Amino acid sequence: MIHFDNVTKVYPNQNRPALQHVNVAVEKGEFLFLVGPSGSGKSTFLRLVLKEERPSQGHVHVAGKDLSRLTNWKIPHLRRRIGCVFQDFRLLPNKNVFENVAFALEVIGKPKRFIAKVVPEVIDLVGLEGKQHRMPDELSGGEQQRVAIARAFVNRPMILLADEPTGNIDPATSIGIMKVLDRINRTGTTVVMATHDAAIVDAFRKRVVELEDGRVVRDQSRGVYGQAY
Amino acid sequence: MRVQFVLQEIWIGLRRNLTMTISLVITVAIAMALFGTGLLIKAQVDNSKSYWDGKIQVSIFLCLKGSPTVACNNTAATPADRQALTDTLHKIPNVISVDYEDQAHALARFKAEYANNPAFANSTQIGDIPDSLRVKLRDPSKFDEVRTAVSGAKGVDQIINEADILKKFFRILDGLKWASLLIALIQMFAAIMLVANTVRLSAFNRRRETGIMRLVGASNLYIQLPFILEGAIAGLVGGLVSTIMLIGAKLFLIDKLQGQVQFATQLGWGSTIMIIIFSICIGVLLCAGSSFLTLRRYLRI
Repeated sequence: MIHFDNVTKVYPNQNRPALQHVNVAVEKGEFLFLVGPSGSGKSTFLRLVLKEERPSQGHVHVAGKDLSRLTNWKIPHLRRRIGCVFQDFRLLPNKNVFENVAFALEVIGKPKRFIAKVVPEVIDLVGLEGKQHRMPDELSGGEQQRVAIARAFVNRPMILLADEPTGNIDPATSIGIMKVLDRINRTGTTVVMATHDAAIVDAFRKRVVELEDGRVVRDQSRGVYGQAY
Repeated sequence: MRVQFVLQEIWIGLRRNLTMTISLVITVAIAMALFGTGLLIKAQVDNSKSYWDGKIQVSIFLCLKGSPTVACNNTAATPADRQALTDTLHKIPNVISVDYEDQAHALARFKAEYANNPAFANSTQIGDIPDSLRVKLRDPSKFDEVRTAVSGAKGVDQIINEADILKKFFRILDGLKWASLLIALIQMFAAIMLVANTVRLSAFNRRRETGIMRLVGASNLYIQLPFILEGAIAGLVGGLVSTIMLIGAKLFLIDKLQGQVQFATQLGWGSTIMIIIFSICIGVLLCAGSSFLTLRRYLRI
């Protein structure tokens, strides 16, 4: 599903590469934790999958397609098949829960009837039944992140990328968020989650890829956060 | 494409930047009004020029008893002088016709031309306007051969080329035309920068929305269209306001001119409407174009 083939990324005006010779293959339906300290290249990894950045060397394949061969005007179609969740939720403060989720479908031109049917389903899926008309500032952090996950998943993407989704949330609430991500993973969606939340990684026992200074230093199925534990 | 969604986005954008939008509308309106006025004057000049090119005459006024001109020597021109002059003129190939206009006819024509100013017309009497030879030229620009042929000849008082008077009139209009086009150009430049600023503000205000649109895979057209249409709508409203100004310019400048100066010919509403439509189109394209170019800088895809 995601295939990094000897990928190196050097940002302009920086000596140290953000990623160096990374080879990672993520299969369809897998759940992958991407761990490592800040600046180890986790976000760069995710940005390369979205083609927000281009690799300086090597190739990134997503869903069997070489992203370097993807023309600019086809990038939106790639992104429609990838959902994204961030640490800071990125909800629109002037739209309620329903509208925030519906926005993702409106802007790709889905018909109103389809939106009216699909959005409540996904809001239920993330566990926000009955909160459709709340505004983001009336929700807790965990609930806001659930809205963000609903928005990322409403178009049923093949891949869900989550960049520190529990970074702003207390541990107890994080478990709930992880359960939502797990539920999404069970529908067959590939999930890649960048995190440095050791407790969560240890509790879930999924595949772990550890990055350090842009290199893959560990790739373990059913791994834990750090070998020291 | 969800039209309603795009329209809603445009409305939000315009409302959030209300002051910028208003200043943009005003600038575009003034730019387009001046641009259109320049075009109106140009149309008026072209129209009058082609009308008058076929009618311009040279008047050779003949001496009267008591003419102050030295060449007249205080004696009136005789019919023999007149005949000699006519013969001389007929020898010039560029001359189409030579007509003699006596004092009675000259007075009648004068009164007809100044019919809307009866006090002036009535105070003029027979004898105030000398009799003249009216010469029609094939090519009005070759007036000098006529002047050299007859100036100083016996019985010639004054040679007046109507083209010279028209030239003065056209020069004033040309000046007006260039002044309005120049100011229009400066205003258009200001409008382009205002659009750039408005779009930049708009893009900044909506960076959350556009960021999410990008992530969920909205097409570039979907992301950019509201901004471009925002510019285009401001341009259109500006153009419509300029229409009012242009109708004013037509009524109070061009038509007044025609009332006051008998050289000016009537400029029809047809060409005025064409100019207005043209100005509006230019305004819309200008705004849409510059917002498109600005977007390429401030909206990452």
